[in-house]
Amino acid sequence: MLKLENINAYYGDLQALWGISLDVNEGELVALVGPNGAGKTTTLKVIAGLLAPAAGLVEFRGQDLLKKSVHQIVSLGISQVPEGGRIFPGMTVLENLELGAFVPEARKAKDQTLQSVYKSYPILEERSDQLAGTLSGGERQMLAIGRALMSKPRLLVLDEPSFGLAPILVDQMFVMITEINKQGVTVLLVEQNVRAALEVAHRSYVIENGEIVGEGTGVDLLSFESIRSAYLG
Amino acid sequence: MTEAFVQIIIFGILIGALYGLAALGLSMVFGVTKILNIAHGELIMLGGYASFWLFRLVGLDPFISLPLTMLIMAVVGLVLYKLLFVRTVKLPEEEKIKNTMLIGFGLTLILQNIALILWTADDRGITTAYSGQVFTVLNIRFPIVRVAGFAVALICLLSLHLFLRKTYTGKAIRATVEDWEAAALMGINIQQVYMLSFVLGAALAGVAGALVSVTFSIDPSMGMHWTLKALIVMVLGGLGSIAGTFAGGILLGATESATAFLIGGNYREVIGLLLFLLVLIFRPQGLLGAKER
Amino acid sequence: MARIQLLLVAVVVILLACLPLVIEKDSTLNLLVLILLFIIMASSWNILGGFTGQTSLGHAAFFGLGSLATRLLWIQGFPLLPSLLAGGGLAVVFALVIGIPAFKLKGVYFAIGTLALGQILFVTVGNLFPTISALPVEALRTYQLAPRYYLFLVLTILTVGFAYLLANSRVGLGMMAVREDEDAAEALGVNARRHKLLALVFSAFLAGMAGSAFAYYHVSYYYQFPFAPIWSFDTLTMVYIGGQGTIIGPIVGAIFFVLLREFLVLNVGEYHLIVFGVLFILVVLFLPGGFVEAWEKIRNLLVRRRSKRDRNASTTA
Ligand SMILES: Nc1ncnc2c1ncn2[C@@H]1O[C@H](COP(=O)(O)OP(=O)(O)OP(=O)(O)O)[C@@H](O)[C@H]1O
Ligand SMILES: [Mg+2]
Repeated sequence: MLKLENINAYYGDLQALWGISLDVNEGELVALVGPNGAGKTTTLKVIAGLLAPAAGLVEFRGQDLLKKSVHQIVSLGISQVPEGGRIFPGMTVLENLELGAFVPEARKAKDQTLQSVYKSYPILEERSDQLAGTLSGGERQMLAIGRALMSKPRLLVLDEPSFGLAPILVDQMFVMITEINKQGVTVLLVEQNVRAALEVAHRSYVIENGEIVGEGTGVDLLSFESIRSAYLG
Repeated sequence: MTEAFVQIIIFGILIGALYGLAALGLSMVFGVTKILNIAHGELIMLGGYASFWLFRLVGLDPFISLPLTMLIMAVVGLVLYKLLFVRTVKLPEEEKIKNTMLIGFGLTLILQNIALILWTADDRGITTAYSGQVFTVLNIRFPIVRVAGFAVALICLLSLHLFLRKTYTGKAIRATVEDWEAAALMGINIQQVYMLSFVLGAALAGVAGALVSVTFSIDPSMGMHWTLKALIVMVLGGLGSIAGTFAGGILLGATESATAFLIGGNYREVIGLLLFLLVLIFRPQGLLGAKER
Repeated sequence: MARIQLLLVAVVVILLACLPLVIEKDSTLNLLVLILLFIIMASSWNILGGFTGQTSLGHAAFFGLGSLATRLLWIQGFPLLPSLLAGGGLAVVFALVIGIPAFKLKGVYFAIGTLALGQILFVTVGNLFPTISALPVEALRTYQLAPRYYLFLVLTILTVGFAYLLANSRVGLGMMAVREDEDAAEALGVNARRHKLLALVFSAFLAGMAGSAFAYYHVSYYYQFPFAPIWSFDTLTMVYIGGQGTIIGPIVGAIFFVLLREFLVLNVGEYHLIVFGVLFILVVLFLPGGFVEAWEKIRNLLVRRRSKRDRNASTTA
């Protein structure tokens, strides 16, 4: 479904990605894990069209994403929850959700999708007229995910959704993500919470210093010696 | 004495609405795109001439022709954006503000001198059948044209407010202001939002220009004066606040009139600029704006 | 500075010094005065805007204050030299008064803040001195252009020389560090505020002296005239066209600007400002470093091509 091949990407003169290749198949939940500054967010920026790679190939359902701009990529069915959620704090919860359904196709089904998002996350309905900036950390993250779902994505890309959440909420978050995936949305999940991510994912990639250094099923990687020592203590 | 003073203040408020309208376009463009269009006053000037010629050549009443004036200025705005400002979109914010300011400065020279060549340096104004008419309430005189101008400004303000609150496009604009990257990830075409905002700003300048040409007079070199007014009001009202911009305009109008009354007409200009500097230095979020997040 | 360059500068200065002896037409000398005046203006603006990165739109204020002080004193019968220095002095005093609050403003806010300041002075001076200031009949009778020209020449040499020394000094380097990144400069131990203030004072003094010389030079003008915003804008345009932050840029920009304007006024008349507007926008959009950067690009290209050819020659040999 999504395919990255030999991506090199730079910030100015600084090379951040070195020949990244990865695949996500329809229906899968794939995790991309790695330490701080490894290049996870950068990889997602390339997918979203926010950063043009110097070399390589990005394909989604047979379409060349490098020829598309950010908003076109969203309308192809890739929805991203950026690092930190990035909700619009000065707008109401409802407005945030409405903006999630901005692309024409999603807009047609807006009311229906809204109901199903409300059903999954009732707290958002309760708070719908409140400014998003007044939500708690967990609620914000929920809003960010709900907002991304409003576009009825084929592929949902999440950048560290568990970051900064209280431990109980982290577990809930992973349950939520599994639920979304079970309902038929393909998921690419970036996480620093390696153990939890590897456990829920069908397949995972390990990225370090801008390079993919490992790939396998969650269980495989958990037994991967270097991963154990590096991330799991 | 007090009656005269009240009269003066009322005049100031009526003019102030026009200041607010002049600033509305500038402030919206700056708030959304970070383009600081120093040539906004020149757009007002062109709007004024558009309205003037529609009146003189076609005989259209300046209030009736407002939609047409807006349309003309929207096209002018579109051309300027596509030709010049779009090239600065990718720059980092600081540099963008500075470069657009400089482009605006070049544009000032160009537009001003084109107008000078086409229409000479003469002062022009629109005089309609109702131009001199005044109605009186409680001994205070209200010139019809200025009251109508006030109403138009108020309508523009409310429409813009509703547009930004109620329509999908308006919400997309607000989202872009809050976080353009996140907005792009919603599928919003940021380039289009920028273009639309600029065009809308030019159209608003058109309305302001039309009102100037019926209330005062227009000439090719009026731009700088109006750009300064708009800048002052934008800073007084606080960025990104429509209501604040309008209130800032009224405040400036009233202060100027009070100064003219109490100190002397020569200093009405200076007081506004002083107010501007003080607010810029001590309350950069604007007199009425909330503290930055 | 290389020895050749030093020699070149000396030759140019000597030539300029000899010019009044050979030039007969006043109009030519007047044009030269205008060029020198704008070299001073552009170079002084460049200390604040180019070296230190504080884009000011109110440079006319200093020019105006210099002219005002000098004109008032000198016409009252004060000796010339103290009158001239009083002009620069008044500009410095003003710079010190506004400096601290003005530098609370960053970037573009500084630019529009200085625009407003300049405008306040322009209007206020117009209110306080609404008349034309003409030289007394006695002074008119003995008026000679050459001394004016030499005054401008000396000021120009001092200004450019000062800018050169400054650019190569510790203080100058500090200013450039502030321009690149104020916070990083602070982290390196550069006191940003002090450097900006210093740049403002230098810039103000030199522009003030240009104003003083203008007051000595010009026969009759409205007191308000040297405060007009156009002085700031013209100066800014020259520096941008030439190349800001360099020594030669403002000089080249000023010469180019004045000559081109003269040429355009003669040939296309009222269209000349339109040409300037277009030119200015083109430079901002496509040549942010002005002529200096363009020249360097061209030179690099030539050098690279030549070295490539040399390399090819050596490999085939
Ligand atoms: N805007 C930027 N400009 C310059 N360098 C950047 C920028 N963003 C990231 N980098 C650099 O690129 C590298 C990869 O960063 P990236 O944000 O992709 O890491 P990450 O894996 O997402 O880390 P984290 O877990 O902290 O989010 C890092 O070395 C980082 O310093
Ligand atoms: Mg990251």
